[in-house]
Amino acid sequence: MKFGSLLKKELGGLLTPQALISMVFTCVLLIAMGQIMGNTMDESFDTSEINVCNLDDSDYTKDMLDNLSEYGSTAKPFTLESDDYAAELERLGIDNLIIIPEGFGDSVLVDKKPAEVRYVCKLGMGFGGLMKSTSASDALSAIEASVGDSVLLDSYGLSEEEIERVNSPVLTVEYSTLNGKTAQVSSSILGSVLMTQSMIAPFVIFFLLLMASQMIMTAISTEKIDKTLETLLSAPVPRITILTAKMVAALVVAIIDALVMVVGMIGYIFGMMGSVGEEISSLSAEAASGVAADMSDAASLAQGMMDLGLTLGIGDYLLFGLQMFLSVLIGLALALILGALCEDVQSMNTLLMPIMILVMIPFFITMFMDTTAMDPVLKTILYIIPFSHSYMALNNLMTGSMIAFWGGLAYQIIFLIGTMFFAVKMFTTDKIFTMTGAIAQKKQQRQAAKK
Amino acid sequence: MPNVLEVTNLTKEYKKGVRAADNVSFSIAEGEIFALIGPNGAGKTTTIRMIATLLSPTSGDAVIAGNSAAKEPDKVRECITYLPDEAGAYKTMTGIKYLEFMAGLFAKNKEEADMFVNRAANMCGLGPRLDEKIGGYSRGMIRKLLLSRAVMTRPKLAIMDEATSGLDVINALDIRRTIKRLAAEEGMSFLLSSHNMLEIEYISDRVGIITQGKLLVTGTIDELKAQFECRNLEEVFEKVVNTGVQDTDRM
Repeated sequence: MKFGSLLKKELGGLLTPQALISMVFTCVLLIAMGQIMGNTMDESFDTSEINVCNLDDSDYTKDMLDNLSEYGSTAKPFTLESDDYAAELERLGIDNLIIIPEGFGDSVLVDKKPAEVRYVCKLGMGFGGLMKSTSASDALSAIEASVGDSVLLDSYGLSEEEIERVNSPVLTVEYSTLNGKTAQVSSSILGSVLMTQSMIAPFVIFFLLLMASQMIMTAISTEKIDKTLETLLSAPVPRITILTAKMVAALVVAIIDALVMVVGMIGYIFGMMGSVGEEISSLSAEAASGVAADMSDAASLAQGMMDLGLTLGIGDYLLFGLQMFLSVLIGLALALILGALCEDVQSMNTLLMPIMILVMIPFFITMFMDTTAMDPVLKTILYIIPFSHSYMALNNLMTGSMIAFWGGLAYQIIFLIGTMFFAVKMFTTDKIFTMTGAIAQKKQQRQAAKK
Repeated sequence: MPNVLEVTNLTKEYKKGVRAADNVSFSIAEGEIFALIGPNGAGKTTTIRMIATLLSPTSGDAVIAGNSAAKEPDKVRECITYLPDEAGAYKTMTGIKYLEFMAGLFAKNKEEADMFVNRAANMCGLGPRLDEKIGGYSRGMIRKLLLSRAVMTRPKLAIMDEATSGLDVINALDIRRTIKRLAAEEGMSFLLSSHNMLEIEYISDRVGIITQGKLLVTGTIDELKAQFECRNLEEVFEKVVNTGVQDTDRM
């Protein structure tokens, strides 16, 4: 009954309407941001319609532009009034323009030398602006392909079959290897799939750790700041029950919060990567075309992952969950200790910083660096931080690095026992009151010494 | 009357040898209101916190209803309630939810918890405002709520640090009357701490004056006034604190 009352009270304190609104708002914001960025990227990758100003009145150029649809593009005609390209782009209200100068057709057919084409692009700032600054090779790919084929056909008299051979002279069959295993699968496609996976898991850990630590610290420090802790601790309830109720409530709310965040994050990643995903699919088909039709579908990708040992079973996910749970418990224990030192809201924010740093360092390192090929000093620092092992757990399980996994798990257990022992000791003795007093006393002494 | 509280040589020593409470000894009988008075930093709150089991004594002990605060803090907590100085309540809870929550921590079953809540709800006089969030309460309302919370369980000893601090005259009078009535009618014992000499003179049966961690004198108001040849408690307090004179029987 007492534990239930305490848990209900803690949950009520943490799951306030303001907290719920903030959670939902962040989730919606992330999804919306993903959609906006995805749309921007879609626009920038889209070369189905190209802006062309044709100054060459030859039949060759006219035919080439009319038949661009065979190469996946259509030409939208524009007329220039001056050579001031910046002013012209502004006047026409476009971001880029391909200018085909006079004599283009003659250069191709008569002079038999590379024909000049001008590509003018307005440089934008910010993510959206920079993404719109499409490179010349993307925008001109259809024109280049069309001119190339016509040269092979007209100047060299090649047949369509021969042209196809010239355009695709090499047949690439991609293999990927990992830990001594080999699979017939494209490393770029596999890398993209793994990257998506390896982004979501760290985000879950990151949010879960930060939320849980912040929750418990708020729960403890608010009791101290609002002066309700003394009343609570003088009630006939075992201290360990009070402590457990606080930790369970923080854990529950953190899980809810993390899940909402992950939904938002997945929405963000998939919203942003929508067009890139399509690119990956087409790349996959391209890489495998003509070699093994079965390599272009998801089943073959899954087979490749299985061959490389990159698939996880239920047992692996349970082990990953266990390591994540240990990290959260360590975070809670650390936050309990630091929360007990809080005197006001300002000190709470300051004391949360060490946990944030410990959570963020391995998050960024494991996300952007290959931990296996890291500098030994950096690697040691990474391994000392207990949360790192949870960030690396999924990769360790996937790649079969079980020594690293079990070693990390053992280290986390030892670290947890140590921090939990200290946290419980703080709560079950009078240290929760005397420690803050001692710190305040030292602060006063320092201030007095300065004066 | 049997003693509810027996404090014997209670000492709290912090690092560097600072003694916040130094061999403090006194007792409180059943139904008695005992006030601990002293200047700021005299050791009142440290002594009270040790009796309330929040701080562990370096030496000595406080025995409440036969239970040692040093050795059996869990049992002691069943016999006492503590109202700290400037204590707050959970702002996001309504007054009634707060009482229900606290009653749940003290009661053995649902019936007993309901009884505690009804008693506190009637005593605090907040009426329909008990259904409002505590965040919207005035300081006086919070103090009344906390006082009713502290006595709703009929503890053997209610410990109150500055029970009426920051309250207006009407609210303070109301709280003093409640304490006096509970001691007289229900035999509840109180350990109070206050800087308000008039309040102590009005409310207390006996007083102890503490300074620099040492309890210098104890006695009824009349005994102390006679002993130090003073007209009121304020003068006694000044004389004792300034001269550091100790009660002869304690010497």
